[in-house]
Amino acid sequence: MKKGSAGVWAWRIGILVVVLAAWEYLTGIKAISKTPGLYWIDPFFISRPSAIARRFVFLMSDQVRLPLWRMALSTVQSTLWGFLVGITTGFIAGLLLGRSDRIARVFDPFIVAFNSLPRIALVPLITMIFGFGLLAKIVLAWSIVFFIVFFNTFQGARSVDQDLISSARFLGAGERQILRTVIVPSALAWTFASLTPSISFALIGVVVGEFIGGESGGGLGYLIIQSLGTLNAADMMVALVVLGAIGIVMALGIRQIEVRLLRWRPEYQKR
Amino acid sequence: MSRVRIAVRDLSKTFNQGPREVPAVSGVSFDVHDREFVAVVGPSGCGKSTILNMMGSLVAPSAGEILVDGVRVGARPAPQIGYVFQKDTVFPWRTVERNIALGLEYRGVSRREIGTRVREAVRLAGLEGFEEAFPATLSGGMRQRVALMRSLVVNPEVLLMDEPFGALDTHTKLNLHAELLALWGERHQTVVFVTHDLSEAITLADRIVVMTRRPGRIKLVYDVKLPRPRDVIALRESAEYLKEYGEIWHALGEELQERAS
Repeated sequence: MKKGSAGVWAWRIGILVVVLAAWEYLTGIKAISKTPGLYWIDPFFISRPSAIARRFVFLMSDQVRLPLWRMALSTVQSTLWGFLVGITTGFIAGLLLGRSDRIARVFDPFIVAFNSLPRIALVPLITMIFGFGLLAKIVLAWSIVFFIVFFNTFQGARSVDQDLISSARFLGAGERQILRTVIVPSALAWTFASLTPSISFALIGVVVGEFIGGESGGGLGYLIIQSLGTLNAADMMVALVVLGAIGIVMALGIRQIEVRLLRWRPEYQKR
Repeated sequence: MSRVRIAVRDLSKTFNQGPREVPAVSGVSFDVHDREFVAVVGPSGCGKSTILNMMGSLVAPSAGEILVDGVRVGARPAPQIGYVFQKDTVFPWRTVERNIALGLEYRGVSRREIGTRVREAVRLAGLEGFEEAFPATLSGGMRQRVALMRSLVVNPEVLLMDEPFGALDTHTKLNLHAELLALWGERHQTVVFVTHDLSEAITLADRIVVMTRRPGRIKLVYDVKLPRPRDVIALRESAEYLKEYGEIWHALGEELQERAS
C-alpha cells in the first residue's frame, strides 16, 4: 500500500457513512407530523438504506422466483461474452482494415454510418432478430464493444513504426513474421488500452438489452424495469448497487490484466 | 586491395516535395572494400543518410545504382546486410534478451542455439543482469547497445550504420566507440558508418568519404592512417589525429562556410 492511503481510506469510509446516515435520517422525518406520505425527502422515490438492505436479503433468498444472484449472474455472463466476442472480432477487423488501404477505403463510409447510429435505437431490432434471451443482450454488447476495439486497433495498425518494420526486415523477417512480431504487438498495445472502456460499455449494452428483454432474458436490467412497473424504489436501488459493484469489480479486473499485458510500456513501469 | 563489396555507381536521388524537386544526392561514386570500415561525413542535409538508405533498399535511387557483392540493390535488402538506425528501433514489448534473439528467431535457429548466442551477445555488450528488462527501463546508450548486438548476433557481413550514436552524450559515445572497435576487430565486417561527427569518423574508420552540402557530391575521400588497434581516448591527444582532423576539417569547413554565406 502507498504511503498515506490509510488516511484516504478513512476519508472515503467516513463520507460513505455520513451520506448513508443522512439518507436514512432525512427520509425518516415527516414534514407535518402524523400526516402519512408527507416527508421532507420522500422514501417513496429514493427509498432508505435500511429498506434497501432488507430487500437485498429478501431478493437474494429462495423466496423469490428469480433470485437476485441469478439475475446478477445473467448480467455478468452476457457482459463477458459480449466483451470477449467484441474484442476478438474488433481486433481482427481493425488489423485487416488497418493494414489494407483498399479494404479500408471501401468500408470506411459503412463503418462511419453504422458507428454514428445510436446503438440504443437498435435494441428493438436486435431483440426481434435474436429473441428475448441471452443472445440479444450479447449481440447488443458486442455491437458497442466491437467498434471501440475496432477503431483503436485500426489506429494501432496504421501507426506501426515503419522503422521497426525495416529493422525486422534487415534481421531477415518475412512478411508473415513481420505481421506476427511487429504489426500485431504494436496494434495490440492500442487494443489493450481500449479494454477498460470496452467492459463498461459492454455492461451498458447488456443492461439496455435487459430493459426490453423481459423475464426470459433476466438480468439486473430486468429487475430495474420490473421495479419501475411496481414503483418499488428499494428494489431498483438494490439492482443499482449490485450493478455498481459488478462494474467496479470488472473494471478493476480488466485494469489488472491491462497492466500485466502492457508492463513493457514506460507509463506502467514500477517506480 | 581486397575485393569490392559495395560499389556505388553514379548515384543520384531527387525528392519530390510537392511540386518542387529537391536534389539530395548527385552523381556519387565510391567503392567499399571487403573488411573495410568507411565513414561518410558531411554537413546536415547533404544526403549522406540517403545514400545509406539506398544501400539498404529503404529508398530507391533516382539514377545510378548500387551493387552489393556484384548484385544490384533492389526492393528488398540483401541478406548479408545488417542495419543500425539512429532512431531507437528496439522493440519496446520485448525484453533485452528477446530483442537480441529476433534475427535468430526469424532464421529458424533452434531454441538452444539462440540461448547460447544471445547469452554471448549479452556478455559482449555488458548487459548482464538486464536480460529480462524491458527497453523502457534502459538508458539510451544501453538501448543502442541492444540494437547493435541485435544486428551483430546474426553475423552480417556488411553493416550499415546511420548515425547510431548521434543521440548519445559524449561519454556514452566514447564507450560505445571502444566497444564497436573491439567487436569489429574480431570479425572485420564491412562497415559503412554515416555521421556528422568528424572525430567519430576519424576514430573509427579506415577511409572517410567527405560530402559537399546539398545536393551531396563527394568532396574528397580521405585515408585515415592511424594505426590499429586504436584507443579511443588516447587517440584524441595524438599528433596524427590532430593533423588528420585539421586536414579534413579544412575541407568540411569550406562546405559549412559556403552554407552560411
